[in-house]
Amino acid sequence: MNQLLKFGLVLGVICLAATLVLAVTYEVTKPKIEEQLKAEEQSALKSIMPSADSFVEKTLDGIEYFEALKGRTVAGYCVRVTGNGYNGPIRMIAGVDLDGTIEGVSVLENSETPGLGAKINEIRPGESEPWFLKQFKGKSAGTIAIKSNIDAITGATISSKAVTDAIRKTVDDLLGKLKK
Amino acid sequence: MEKTGLFGEFVKGLWKENPTFRIVLGLCPTLAVSTSVNNGIGMGVAATFVLVGANIFISLVRNVIPEKVRIPCFVVVIATFVTIVELAMKAYAPLLSRSLGIYVPLIVVNCIVLGRAEAFSSKHPPIRSILDSLGMGLGFTWALVVISFIRESLGNGTVLGFYINRSFEPALFMILAPGALLTIGILIGAINYFMSKRR
Repeated sequence: MNQLLKFGLVLGVICLAATLVLAVTYEVTKPKIEEQLKAEEQSALKSIMPSADSFVEKTLDGIEYFEALKGRTVAGYCVRVTGNGYNGPIRMIAGVDLDGTIEGVSVLENSETPGLGAKINEIRPGESEPWFLKQFKGKSAGTIAIKSNIDAITGATISSKAVTDAIRKTVDDLLGKLKK
Repeated sequence: MEKTGLFGEFVKGLWKENPTFRIVLGLCPTLAVSTSVNNGIGMGVAATFVLVGANIFISLVRNVIPEKVRIPCFVVVIATFVTIVELAMKAYAPLLSRSLGIYVPLIVVNCIVLGRAEAFSSKHPPIRSILDSLGMGLGFTWALVVISFIRESLGNGTVLGFYINRSFEPALFMILAPGALLTIGILIGAINYFMSKRR
């Protein structure tokens, strides 16, 4: 019994110390981590809609989006899109103008297979943006589909389809709701 | 036990007892992460940090921890250090943290870390434990770099993200799991061959 108590005590002390250290680290890094995510999102927004000068975050029926403002008028929408990728969610931001024409897509986070699905974000040498995402530019968000007007990545049909379908559905959904 | 010099304690992890090629520990993260040299270096450095941190601590408290509950104690200490590394990476190196993704939390179950805690740090003083885990960590890192260099160059046609030769059509196979098994198998085989020749 005595020994049992000692074991418990030692384990308990170690766990307590570990909890303390973790709590401090978490508190110290938390604002930094949030800042990083924000900065990432802001730079994605800027690259999608370079002409807009401010973004206002809004939510409609569970769809999170940003209104891109040029001065006082709304120039377009940047929508948070999550696709069901091969290895987990693909978080993206898709920018459309008021008619629903895609201005740009940016992938914030993905865990697709390196060398295959991860090519959704691959930039070829000498180019400034991912070649797969570039295909979406100038197309109407409601019409995009693999095999019709978007070429899938070789060996990564699931990832390509996840990106395309998620953007079409979410953006279409939002634009439909905004018109009401 | 204390026959080896301090320098020997450090060097043995690099070659003679290299965790990947000689002891063949921690192959799960090795297979998963060695798709690009970048990931290999990141994983190696993160694992080294956890190794050194956790082993200093375990070596310091080695006489306090009762033998019967040592494994849960080691796991708690290791998990704590891994979480610290993960949070720090997210806050200060977001790009690296994104490319390593799930593999950082997986250091918790990396056999090299628990293996060194059990086999070495719980029996040796801190200075030796630091040198031992540093050597093991660097040994793991260079092994990862070699494997990922082979896989990235053959499987993606790049090294550290730069294209080697545009006319070369990379063999996708090398970047997938079978390519990792093949690379590691051939490397271990070659090393064993040379070692047996030298004897």
